[in-house]
Amino acid sequence: MSQVLHDIEKKIIDSLQKKSEQTPEHLSESTELSIDQIRRGIEWLRLKELAQVNESSKVAISLGQNGIDAFKNGLPERKLMDLIKDGPKTFDYIRKTLSGAGFNAAIANAKKNGWVKIDKSDAGSEISIKEKSIETPEEKLISLIGEKSIPEEQIENKLALKFLLQRPDYIIQNTEKSKTVSLSEKALHIDTKLSDTGAIDVEADVIAVHAARTHPLKDTIDEIREIFVKLGFSEIHGNLAQSSFWNFDALFTPQDHPARELQDTFYIEDLKREKPATPIQIKQVSKSHSQNWNYDWKLLEAQKMVLRTHTTCVTIKHLADMKPDEARIFSLGRVFRNEKLSYKHLAEFNQIEGVVIGSNTTLRDLMGIQKEFYKQLGLTKIKFWPTFFPYTEPSLQTMVYNEKLGKWVELFGMGIFRPEVTKPLGITKPVLAWGGGIERIAMLKYNLDDVREFYNNNLNWLRTV
Amino acid sequence: MPVVELNINRIKKLISGQVTKKKIIENLPFLGLDIESQDGDQIRVEYSPNRPDYSTDFGIALGLQGLLGTKKGIFKTNIKKEGKYEIKVNSSVSKIRPFVTGIVAKNGIIDDQTIKQLMNMQEDLHLGIGRKRKKSSIGLHDLDKTSFPLTYTTTSRDHKFVPLNSTVESTISNILTETDVGQNYGWTLGDSKNVPIIIDREENTISFPPIINAAVTTVTTKTKNILVEVTSIDKDAAEDMLSVVSTILHVAGFQISELKITGGKNSTPKLNSRIIQYEPKLTAQILGLDISISAMITSLKKCRLDATQNGKKIQCVIPRYRFDIFGSMDIVEEIALGYGIQNLEPKLSTSETLGEKSVITKKLELISKTVVGLGFTEVLNSTLTSENSFVLTNRAQMGSLSLSVLDSKSQEHTILRDLILPGLIENISKNIHESYPQKIFETGIVFRTPTKYESQHLGAVMAYKESNFSEMKAILQSILKTGLKLDMTTEFPNENSNTEYGTRIFSKGRFAKVLVQDIIVGYVGEINSDVLDNFKIRTPVVGFDIDLSLIFE
Repeated sequence: MSQVLHDIEKKIIDSLQKKSEQTPEHLSESTELSIDQIRRGIEWLRLKELAQVNESSKVAISLGQNGIDAFKNGLPERKLMDLIKDGPKTFDYIRKTLSGAGFNAAIANAKKNGWVKIDKSDAGSEISIKEKSIETPEEKLISLIGEKSIPEEQIENKLALKFLLQRPDYIIQNTEKSKTVSLSEKALHIDTKLSDTGAIDVEADVIAVHAARTHPLKDTIDEIREIFVKLGFSEIHGNLAQSSFWNFDALFTPQDHPARELQDTFYIEDLKREKPATPIQIKQVSKSHSQNWNYDWKLLEAQKMVLRTHTTCVTIKHLADMKPDEARIFSLGRVFRNEKLSYKHLAEFNQIEGVVIGSNTTLRDLMGIQKEFYKQLGLTKIKFWPTFFPYTEPSLQTMVYNEKLGKWVELFGMGIFRPEVTKPLGITKPVLAWGGGIERIAMLKYNLDDVREFYNNNLNWLRTV
Repeated sequence: MPVVELNINRIKKLISGQVTKKKIIENLPFLGLDIESQDGDQIRVEYSPNRPDYSTDFGIALGLQGLLGTKKGIFKTNIKKEGKYEIKVNSSVSKIRPFVTGIVAKNGIIDDQTIKQLMNMQEDLHLGIGRKRKKSSIGLHDLDKTSFPLTYTTTSRDHKFVPLNSTVESTISNILTETDVGQNYGWTLGDSKNVPIIIDREENTISFPPIINAAVTTVTTKTKNILVEVTSIDKDAAEDMLSVVSTILHVAGFQISELKITGGKNSTPKLNSRIIQYEPKLTAQILGLDISISAMITSLKKCRLDATQNGKKIQCVIPRYRFDIFGSMDIVEEIALGYGIQNLEPKLSTSETLGEKSVITKKLELISKTVVGLGFTEVLNSTLTSENSFVLTNRAQMGSLSLSVLDSKSQEHTILRDLILPGLIENISKNIHESYPQKIFETGIVFRTPTKYESQHLGAVMAYKESNFSEMKAILQSILKTGLKLDMTTEFPNENSNTEYGTRIFSKGRFAKVLVQDIIVGYVGEINSDVLDNFKIRTPVVGFDIDLSLIFE
């Protein structure tokens, strides 16, 4: 027997093995356990299929007020017979002696029993004995019950009971529910004396514990970083606070462009970078703006510090400073937009951007890298659509089919840096760039509809996702 | 991105060829248009801000004709010279809004849908090229309600006329203060005493640019002939706008006539096409696409440009309204679009470089692994935090020393965090209904006060009944030892220092400075009851916050 039994369970089994079919109250007496302990023990045994509980309801019969009167003084018809045993009596006399409703019942039942006859005279109706009155079954039943309460099933004369039930307040029926416990077949043979000290209930439920873990969004970031590395890209870092020069001007965004306004970009209060770039870089970028956009470029605007709106400012600065002939690099991190928070927009999110410079740098190569990237993420149904980015030309966006939504969703963007961006910075070879927001991919992965969930830090979610 | 609403039956009619609705919808994305929603025959598409010609169904139909091959090559707008129409420019405008240009569009039919499309175009041009009307703005008028010549001049703010959508006269001042457009765009005029105005021969006001037209020239479905005027502080921007409007009106069935402009630095707009000589080799170099010159020419024509072979080069003719085209790289993109992006095969070339994670990333990964191993779950908080976060950690003054951003749309994102710890304490306060012990950590960028330099921090907190200083110190010691092979010591802090955050966040006598190689890198300790009270936390919390950048260096 593999089962481990609690002391309570053992005591109940012992008792039931001696006497089967006990009520919980009996068990409480015989085992000297509290009624609560017994109830608990019975429940455990029942779940283990060692005991069964038989529920039954029984009706107990006792006498009502009239019944008790009849038990003590006889039924009304018997009282009547006593009154007339010495000779006929008038109705008036009897009515006076047998008060109330007893009179009608007495006359009616005595007549029904054939005990009396009624003669009409000038003095009114007179009643006299017709036949000897023997004890009726109802009277026998009343004597049997007496002041006790007896189970209905023990009453043999059902007809007498039926008659008495028809008479008011003679019989009280009490329904009593009762439970009895008995052992199942296999429990009959359990030897509760066998020792199982130290054993525990190995099948019982236990509390949940949670493994510590990295953040799900971080996991996605790491996964994407690994894929970039696998594709031959090396990681570079840059500051979150950037001069407008690298965030905008170097990327050919004119100084009056709407994206540069306070309502789209976070400008840092009272902070500017006196020398955002080398004098040559500043001069060339200024020239590119003045010539192509035909306006008066101002260094003051370029000195203003912003929270970077993309990671492109990091990669372009790296290319401008290092001027590699051939490289695959990427930058990953937080970027900022002055947005109202909603289920699809955050003010701060993660972006990755990779650039390729050197040979094999055609748009088709870039598309190939993208296709491989998505394949590594397990996304195989993809296509490319044309789009517009201010600093790349041509520009494409990847569309990925989302099975759950049943539609194409936009993921990463890509393109080739415009010559208006690269030339002034002394970058002579074409630069392919691609990237996008990471939360969007993580949302697909974790089936989230609300991007804010990643930053709610709800421990329940973090522990169980 | 701006949005335009299309009716697919209308588009079908405008394309005027044998083409199915399905084919039209399939091709929209390949014009660079994102389908935002579709409801029966009504489709809302997003278009790129560099293509304002796509702000109407007329412009989109023009593009689709090319892509579907029903009509290819440049869509020519011939400007008829009639000599009847003229705007004279008074030199007084030179200081406030010096340029005006325009065109006359005649013999068209306007229905409600056309008016809707034209208004959408006008709004988009105002927002984009017009820089919210500051740089340039358009007015469309019923030509037959005006008398020529017109004069572009200035007037005082007491000047009165009946503005659009009104029946009573208002002064300029009233319009600027009482109407929505006045309130939204009045700033573009600064506080100059006089404002620009266009009046006709009878001295009727027809426009108060860039704010509002006069009611008298309102364009309705009864209008047959339209006058277009564009005023601007930048002559090129004005002509850019005009070129889009005149092309769209021409597609809509109007004949275009010249509007003479005289005076100041102004001149009559020509709206001439440009020529770009394209080097065909670029196609293979940039796209990786090996196609013949004639195939390139076909592709360009499908994008509604003209192209002919000129020796070894391709001579491209760019209509005036395609001012998004700067040079050869833009031509490459047009070839890709005309060829069909869906026909470009992705090609996977092997990398000639080995990829590598940065040193910082590798170190952070090691730290993460160690901290998780010690039973801590990672959380992520924003770099931008609120003033309240400083207040709740008893550091209101430090908030004022930290960097703030201007005009944030969210009160929760106004200041750059200087520590990781406050965010973690807040996380604990939002999880009081979850089971304990709670152990969380975060790595991330903070902006040190008062130097304002960015640095990488690690913070961790632990909340449960028996948590205490010694356990947290032991954990930090283990992180540094296992993750970074570094030893640390703790030192009794200066409890009276006001500039150090330690005294404000931690309990007196229950926190310490953390030193690595004799440099203070942070604090470890028990969070004091004031801070816990502020966050309504009833469980003891211990934590640390250390500057990893100092350690990495």
